[in-house]
Amino acid sequence: MDDGSTDSDPVTAGESSILDTLGEDVIRIVSPVSLCMLLVVLLVSSLSSTNDLSSSVSSLFLSSTTTPTSFSSLNLLLLGSDSTWEEIKSALVTALSFVVVVTLLTFLLVLLFYFRCTNFLRIYMGISSLFVLSFLGGFIFLLLISHFKIPIDPFTFAILLFNLSVVGVFAVFMPKFPISMNQGYLVAIGVLTAYWFTMLPEWTTWALLIAMSLYDLAAVLLPIGPLRLLVELAMSRNEEIPALVYEARPVDPQPGDRVRVWRERTDVRIEATENSTNSANVQTVQETRLAVSEEITAPLIEAFPQTGDRHLGTEEVEDGIGLGSSGAIKLGLGDFIFYSVLVGRAAMYDYMTVYACYLAIMAGLGVTLLLLAVYRKALPALPVSIMLGVVFYLLTRVLLEVFVVQCSSNLLMF
Amino acid sequence: MTVAAGVGYVLIALGPALSLFASVIAKKPFLILTLLSSTLFWLISLIILAGAWRAFLPVKSTELWPYSILILTSVGFQEGIRIGFWRLFKKMEDMLNAFADRVSKPRLFLTDKMQLALAGGLGHGLAHAVFFCLSLLTPAFGPATFYVDKCPSIPFFLISAIIALGFVIIHTFSMVIAFNGYTEGKRKDQIFVPFAHLIAALITLINLVPGGCNIGLPLLCIMAGTTLYYNWQLVWRRLTEHQTTRSSD
Repeated sequence: MDDGSTDSDPVTAGESSILDTLGEDVIRIVSPVSLCMLLVVLLVSSLSSTNDLSSSVSSLFLSSTTTPTSFSSLNLLLLGSDSTWEEIKSALVTALSFVVVVTLLTFLLVLLFYFRCTNFLRIYMGISSLFVLSFLGGFIFLLLISHFKIPIDPFTFAILLFNLSVVGVFAVFMPKFPISMNQGYLVAIGVLTAYWFTMLPEWTTWALLIAMSLYDLAAVLLPIGPLRLLVELAMSRNEEIPALVYEARPVDPQPGDRVRVWRERTDVRIEATENSTNSANVQTVQETRLAVSEEITAPLIEAFPQTGDRHLGTEEVEDGIGLGSSGAIKLGLGDFIFYSVLVGRAAMYDYMTVYACYLAIMAGLGVTLLLLAVYRKALPALPVSIMLGVVFYLLTRVLLEVFVVQCSSNLLMF
Repeated sequence: MTVAAGVGYVLIALGPALSLFASVIAKKPFLILTLLSSTLFWLISLIILAGAWRAFLPVKSTELWPYSILILTSVGFQEGIRIGFWRLFKKMEDMLNAFADRVSKPRLFLTDKMQLALAGGLGHGLAHAVFFCLSLLTPAFGPATFYVDKCPSIPFFLISAIIALGFVIIHTFSMVIAFNGYTEGKRKDQIFVPFAHLIAALITLINLVPGGCNIGLPLLCIMAGTTLYYNWQLVWRRLTEHQTTRSSD
């Protein structure tokens, strides 16, 4: 029993423990998602201060310390106006039409990809990201300027906006651009689109989130699903699908990095979301993808036979998420957007729901990554997180809020 | 009372936690993941408690006994969950060791295990601070402040920030003590943790009495200091024992 040698002091022995690098890949995808959510929450809370349903917990808290809290006031806060049934109906109709439009457009995308119109697709996505950065970005900047009363003249504003959007389009689509700018601009596009979506009415947002996660589940896992067809097409042709995808590569690769080997069949899963608002005909097409790619110098993609006890050499590790140091987990931008929409909408109620939904989404992301490591197929990233997020939002609003306010207002904590 | 005061309250509650995070946890990605999952764990236990107590709330009486039952059940539940958390931790340790053997790297060091326990405890403390203090701090960023009837000398936000600070320290380090106690099988450590938690929670009951917070807050800080000291002694002993056993090989 050589307990002593296995438990040697790392400082004197100079060895590194596995705890130093394990989980790096996961953190590299968790940080930008968290950053995107944080920015959306900050935008929402600073720009919608005229909403008097914000910080409802604090108003509940203040009323509970002065008068006995009545359940009717709680109900009023929860249900809002009394035309709720109308709102729910219109929300369902909107969500359903959105899903139908997205399905049709994804099939169109599959068709175009089948006929090898990839250039057309790339140019279209470049134009749509230009739209997002310039129009949506400009709109939100104007809101910020008017809210915080920033002194800026129109010419400076126009030049800045033009520069930022053009560089953004290049950063997203040029292959040799610095990876940190690419990642930064992708997060920015995600933030802008997510903020736009939070401007929808409340019931519509929730219905949309649930509908999109169900659509995602169906489109990726059903045999006739458009995303699955797209994945199989790309796989059979060994091509990359033109998409807005966040790639969690490290910014500066250290020397001596072990080259990452995720042996998988490059099953990529695509989800095309199209957003057409009523007021402005801004067409935004983003494709999302959750895939695990390999970064080997030789672009050899091995078909991975699913044998049960396949043993790889010491250089390659088969299981576990986040092993090796230059692994690139890819998460589609649509996932960023819908996670941030959920958290942004939670921010419009109160911060307690924000924290609960953030934890739920992180848990869902972790579960999805785990399933990805186990099944090694294309997996939808939306359903688990969104469902957990919605469940936690409801639980927090109904159960947790009253409990915590009751305890805290009496200065009772544990 | 303006953004500065709001940020100040946040830093009072979370300052030590942030410095622990930046110095110990941010360097190792796995510890960040442990932190997130233990925060989620604590949140789920809090939601279960809230669900169980929902039918009885809001407690309108100003008597002591409903609140003491609340505290007792909550603390008991959370301490019971801690044992479950420890079982999960053991399983994770086994998986990590098996993985380390496969990549022919050394197994988990003692300091690694303690860092994992620290991350787990910090997750619990962070969850407490976030849900009991931070989520109610939103009005503090505005132009006014707020006083509770029973404690007219200190603003409510400051009280909850200080209580949150105390509990962050207690949760963080009692996890380290508890894991060490369960690993070594020492009764003293195992009993210390639930007792410390229970006493700290009961101290907050003093706040129900008008003017009680003037006594309750310092007592809570003393309790936090006790936990910190106990943890310090335990870790010191453990590490020196470990060094001597290693060097005596």
